[in-house]
Amino acid sequence: MPDEPDDTELEEQLRELGARLDPVPPRLLSVAADSYIWRTIDSDLAELVFDSALDEHVTATRGGEYARLLTFEAGGLSVDVQVTGSGQYRRIVGQLTPPQRLAVAVRQGQNLTGMDADELGRFGGPLGDGPFSLLCSAGADRDRPVVTDWISL
Amino acid sequence: MQQSEAGSLVKAAAGGDEAAWHALVEGFHGLVWSVARAYRLGSADAADVFQTVWLRLAENLNRIQNPDHIGAWLATTARRESLRIIRSHVRTVPMDDTALADFLQSDEASPEQAVLDAEQGMLDAQRAIAMWRAFGNLPARCQRLLRVLIATPRPSYVDVAAALDVPVGSIGPTRARCLRQLRRLLGEVSETESQAHLNKRGHRGENERAGRA
Repeated sequence: MPDEPDDTELEEQLRELGARLDPVPPRLLSVAADSYIWRTIDSDLAELVFDSALDEHVTATRGGEYARLLTFEAGGLSVDVQVTGSGQYRRIVGQLTPPQRLAVAVRQGQNLTGMDADELGRFGGPLGDGPFSLLCSAGADRDRPVVTDWISL
Repeated sequence: MQQSEAGSLVKAAAGGDEAAWHALVEGFHGLVWSVARAYRLGSADAADVFQTVWLRLAENLNRIQNPDHIGAWLATTARRESLRIIRSHVRTVPMDDTALADFLQSDEASPEQAVLDAEQGMLDAQRAIAMWRAFGNLPARCQRLLRVLIATPRPSYVDVAAALDVPVGSIGPTRARCLRQLRRLLGEVSETESQAHLNKRGHRGENERAGRA
């Protein structure tokens, strides 16, 4: 269907309006550009397979404290995490299955924060605001590191 | 951006070419942001979606199956992430149902002020304010489509269809219908400006909220 000239002009006016009233915040443009540092060449991606906020059978609010439960899985490794708190002052604790001592790190913003799992596969530490992902180093039974899906809660 | 050009950029970025990455951000940042806004996320949630989409792309550069379709991939990822955030909030945070409040919103000043402050483009301030109000009175379906379509740079219909999860062939006709409605509203808004807030959509929104409560 040929475009009516009037429609093209009206759409361009709307585009100008959108650019004026609701542009991408400049801060976010820098964040997008900087995301490139997290490009990983050789790793397995652990996908989100469970999220308590999307599961009607789970009540994640208890005694006023908010906890979010997530599970990521990649061939042979399962990562369960619980996130509590809000904003800049969140906390993350996690469990690797099968349990194993492993170097785990949180990727967030431009930071990589190590929180190694003990021999029972438990790890934990502070978590800031914004999307994050976990990086689990290669282990005895895996020759590649595992990274989890990036997620914002 | 042509699909083949976008595809080349994805392959180059996957191979370590940082300039190609910046070109991808330049070419598609408006689309990603517009999708989050089209699903009516507030500033904080839209910022989370925006960041998550680019982080996912960086993570998946080597896993993208159709580099030429990167625009649709970004739009789809943004849509899914927006819907995921909406679903995760819906049981704890009441969704705001007002047509205008969280749409095309500006964090710093009122939209009217933002329009007046902006440098003169092809829109004069009065026309811009009228358009903003008319836009807010469009049916939700039209607001959503147009919000994605008016991203800068202009997205392809394929990418818009991916953002809305509708057939590509429906974009053109729906766009024509929505622009026609907008034009009609623009005529009405200038004549009965004081009644702009009495539109039917607002009332229906209130009834839905009352019904849910």
